[in-house]
Amino acid sequence: MHDGSGRIVVQGLTKQFGPVTAVQNLSFTVEPGSVTGFLGPNGAGKTTTLRMLLGLVTPTAGSSFINGRPFHQLGNPARVVGAVLEAQGFHPKRTARNHLRVYAAAIGVPDQAADHVLDLVGLGAAAGRKAGGFSLGMKQRLALATALLGDPQVLVLDEPANGLDPEGIAWLRTFLQSYARAGRTVLISSHLLAEIEQTVDQVVIVSRGQTMYYGSLDQLRGSQRSRVLVQPSDAGALVAALQAEGVTGIEQVPDGRLAVSGMDAKQVADAALKAGVSVYGIQEERVDLEQLFFQLTNGQYTAAGPNPFAGPQGQIPQGPPGPQQSGYYAAPTPSGQFPQQGYPPQQYQQPQFPPPDYQQQQYQQQFQQPPQDNQQQQPPPGYQQPGQGGYGGGN
Amino acid sequence: MLMNLVKAEFRKTTTTGLWWGIMIPTVLIALGWALGTGAIGKSIMDVVNSSDAENLTELLGIDSSQWQVSVFGMARSINIATVFPMIFGGLAISNEISRRTITTTFLTAPNRVAALTAKLLVYVAWGAIFGLAIVAAVSIGIVFTSDSAALPDAAGWIAMAGVGILSSILMTMFGVGVGALMTSPIATTIVLILYMLILENGIQLVLAAQGVPSIIGFLPNGAVNGLTGSVAANLFLSTAGVVPDELNEVIRGIAGALGAFDWWLSGLIFLVWTAVFFLGGWAATQRKDIT
Repeated sequence: MHDGSGRIVVQGLTKQFGPVTAVQNLSFTVEPGSVTGFLGPNGAGKTTTLRMLLGLVTPTAGSSFINGRPFHQLGNPARVVGAVLEAQGFHPKRTARNHLRVYAAAIGVPDQAADHVLDLVGLGAAAGRKAGGFSLGMKQRLALATALLGDPQVLVLDEPANGLDPEGIAWLRTFLQSYARAGRTVLISSHLLAEIEQTVDQVVIVSRGQTMYYGSLDQLRGSQRSRVLVQPSDAGALVAALQAEGVTGIEQVPDGRLAVSGMDAKQVADAALKAGVSVYGIQEERVDLEQLFFQLTNGQYTAAGPNPFAGPQGQIPQGPPGPQQSGYYAAPTPSGQFPQQGYPPQQYQQPQFPPPDYQQQQYQQQFQQPPQDNQQQQPPPGYQQPGQGGYGGGN
Repeated sequence: MLMNLVKAEFRKTTTTGLWWGIMIPTVLIALGWALGTGAIGKSIMDVVNSSDAENLTELLGIDSSQWQVSVFGMARSINIATVFPMIFGGLAISNEISRRTITTTFLTAPNRVAALTAKLLVYVAWGAIFGLAIVAAVSIGIVFTSDSAALPDAAGWIAMAGVGILSSILMTMFGVGVGALMTSPIATTIVLILYMLILENGIQLVLAAQGVPSIIGFLPNGAVNGLTGSVAANLFLSTAGVVPDELNEVIRGIAGALGAFDWWLSGLIFLVWTAVFFLGGWAATQRKDIT
């Protein structure tokens, strides 16, 4: 019935609850063999997306597939995908073991599986206790045990770290990583990057129902190099001087300063001196991963994308309106593009890095525009900006 | 596959205390009402069969010594007791929605049709189990307080037991449907009890007073009462000998089948009510976004 690939494909998912658009045209792919983080602030549509993937919520538009099939065509779905969606789905008067035996019967696995998964999540001693008396952390473990009953190939977890103590989080991290190392698929959502930073290899970052970043965490880390914000007397001259030195990562930030990446402040100042340009202010900006995540999700940079909150799409000068046309965005038809096992980052990096000359052109085009237009019409550089390459990713 | 889900649904009902928490009052009410109605029937018959009244009954050409008055008590007791399996059914889906176990239920089933079909089968079985318990309790109670002459014969008893179990099953499914539509266990319980025990009785009084008792037979409670009450009235009339036509309505009223149609028609009408609510609840649950 299904292809056994362990791949999750989400294609253009949209969900509207009345007037509220919870998820808008969301697309991403999750590959087996790695732990993929599904990140976004509260209300970004993560839970709705996962529930659409699992057939619990009917999408307004778009589709999603697990092992090449929609959830309802998986046959015995719990043997393919296990899900931890909330730590509340227990009858308070039912013991942990009985809870698991109910669903063991539904899945068609022997009753011993109940005790097996309880031991697996460390609840063996609490098997005979009623779930109503469990702490939140214990309920999370019981929810995970339920997800594991069918020994599924794909594991989907919605904020599983909620209520877990540090020890529990460490345990969960190890567990999920070993699960993924066995060639299985793990998709884990969180609103805190720090919480899952050490667990995940891949991330899908969503904000306001749209994909903001999709790729490897290492690559996101790689883009967190510092940049220098400089306010020169003659921006054109400084840009020319920097380009002469082979620096391509130059952008104008909305306040009129230049953002130079690939150089430290001292080198920029030296270049300015050499070009005879006065420097009125210079500042080295360091972006850590959390900050990056915040920038990706707080809406500042989303103005460039087809974001319903950011004004009509027609005003966006570059790129066609449409789904998340991010430099990082990978087309949602990955079957031929991605390897089944393992993960070579190049596959994902390719669309992210435009050739240097392209970047240069972009810069000049951008630079020649008056700054006030820059504010009004030119969206700030953002990850989802097609063609622009985004800051830090463009060189 | 479906049998796996049926097994799971059955385990759901046996791994919490709800089933015996409802079974105990079901049996107690059934037994209590049977004892009480049996005693009332006996005391009435004692008066009717007394030497004073004997003249009157002879005058009317009635032989009251063979009156199986106990069937009325049986019908009434069954009607009251089946309120409990109805509540049990009402909690089937509403409890899963409010406890949020419906999420896992749907995640472990191939599709919602299969999950709800399994629930249907299990609650039909539970309706039958409750029905058996009710019939047993009512039979024991009625035997204790009735004269043996007032008891139905074997065929009559089987008929009463049959419609008792049938009405218990239908009441359970009626509850399942209402619960699936209401999705709140408390609201479901209150609405079911208020409607079946108070509201519709009020409506029936008004309808009877307005001289249109035949509408009662179309109402849910009127229909399900007609199922047992009509059988009871038929049983009574078939053995009572000559009964004046004017008394027929009174007898049906005593049996709780005032305005009701024949037992099979009453059963069909209540089946339609059950189907309306059950299919409505099914459709709502089928399309519901589980958030």
